[in-house]
Amino acid sequence: MKKIMLVCSAGMSTSLLVTKMRTAAIKKGISVDIFAVSEAELKNHTNDVDVVLLGPQVRFLLNKMEKTLEPKGISIAVIDSVNYGMMNGEAVLEQALDIIGNK
Amino acid sequence: MKRFFDFMEKHFVPIAAKIGAQRHLVAIRDGFVGIMPLILAGSIAVLLNQTVFKWIPAFSGLTAINGNVWWGTFAVMSLLIAFSVGYNLAKGYGSDALAAGLVSVGAFLVVTPQSHGDAGWGYIHWGYLNATGLFTAIIVAIIATEIFVRLLNKNIIIKMPDNVPPSVGRAFAAVIPGLIAIYVFGILAFLINKLGGNSLYDLILNLIQKPLQGFSQGVLSVMFFSMLINFFWFFGLHGANIMDPIMNALYLPALEANASAIQQGLQAPNVVTRVFFDAYIHLGGSGATLALILAIFIASKRRKDYRTVAKLGAPAGIFQINEPIIFGLPIVLNPILFIPFIIVPGVLTLIAYSATASGLVPPTYVVMPWTTPVGIGGFLATGGDIRGGLLALVNFAVAVMIYLPFVILADKMASGESTVK
Repeated sequence: MKKIMLVCSAGMSTSLLVTKMRTAAIKKGISVDIFAVSEAELKNHTNDVDVVLLGPQVRFLLNKMEKTLEPKGISIAVIDSVNYGMMNGEAVLEQALDIIGNK
Repeated sequence: MKRFFDFMEKHFVPIAAKIGAQRHLVAIRDGFVGIMPLILAGSIAVLLNQTVFKWIPAFSGLTAINGNVWWGTFAVMSLLIAFSVGYNLAKGYGSDALAAGLVSVGAFLVVTPQSHGDAGWGYIHWGYLNATGLFTAIIVAIIATEIFVRLLNKNIIIKMPDNVPPSVGRAFAAVIPGLIAIYVFGILAFLINKLGGNSLYDLILNLIQKPLQGFSQGVLSVMFFSMLINFFWFFGLHGANIMDPIMNALYLPALEANASAIQQGLQAPNVVTRVFFDAYIHLGGSGATLALILAIFIASKRRKDYRTVAKLGAPAGIFQINEPIIFGLPIVLNPILFIPFIIVPGVLTLIAYSATASGLVPPTYVVMPWTTPVGIGGFLATGGDIRGGLLALVNFAVAVMIYLPFVILADKMASGESTVK
């Protein structure tokens, strides 16, 4: 099963989005594992995920994370800020699946 | 305005981003996150002694229980942070975090004065281990860990033969780097003493921590910090997160000083503490965005998009989470909302500061989770004083009033647009 990890400062606002993404995934009949972590926990989770999505408010982590994640073959991207704000689970799930599909 | 935003996006955002990802600041921030359970426990201990244990006579003989908890949390906060910062910094380097944390604690105690007052030699006074020593603990932990990690990476280690169990080998690997890191501070403390200084501890306290804390209690600097957080947010960066190491380092000792003073039945010395911001300024998240949500419900007639986002963001906003509003409306790079979004925290800070400094509202000294809703936060932060809750509500009303005209303006501009569409 594909694993999608969302990251924001405390893992709070992204966990909202996770709920919406899970609903979207069930509607589409896709089985994916989606979860949110805080920035501090991030390092403990970088081994068993397929794609990491950053909340736009912590987009400054992108460069640093790319360096650690790319050698492991994990893609990383920043969530589109309007989709993020509107908590558009469907669109963000789409973004994540696109990234996985392009690998 | 557009040109200003472009300029900032190009020059300010990358710098802010660098600060936000800076290794040592991240270690300090995560260090504070790590000791948060203990800070909450200490806070609750002080709160209970001031409220329930005071109100119910049957409990009055049991206040020592809370005193004990305070002793193991607030009274040794610097010791805790020394470990936590060293640990997190080494973890950031992918190095031996446990060893680095322990070395940091050792190094911190190496520079701590070995006697106090008339007690003679061999006593560590708690006044050296509480938040008074926070800067010393952070600085010593960072330097000690840097020395430790660098030597470890340079392979200045004792290598064990292959058939020695790995965990034994790991313990030996840390021996030389740890030894050198501790000795550096031993020698430094010795030299400072020989040169006539009291100790490295006092040096950092008097030259760095005290002046900075004095400065941080001024009303203008408090306003500056709270507005700066929103300035970061305006460009879509997590301002509270970026500023967190600084805010904790400056305002957590102030909180500890207040709590310890009240625990001992004295007057709380500081106007602004770490929780001051969550209780009175970040009402519904940075920029008091819950007030903006209410203003939209009151005044926004034509902007369907605003109302949709406001509805979406309201439940999270009650618990101080405001990313949906910030990115959904959006507030980010929104020229109309820029002005109130920056002004609101400044005005709210000024009101809360004046109310606290004049004694209208008691000072804050209890840490509550930052997700505590508006009003309840102010009530708890002041040790269960209704005036703290009222101040938060007054601030909330003021924020609504400031946002209202701008929401109406956005509404009017939208009606102009819709005729074109």
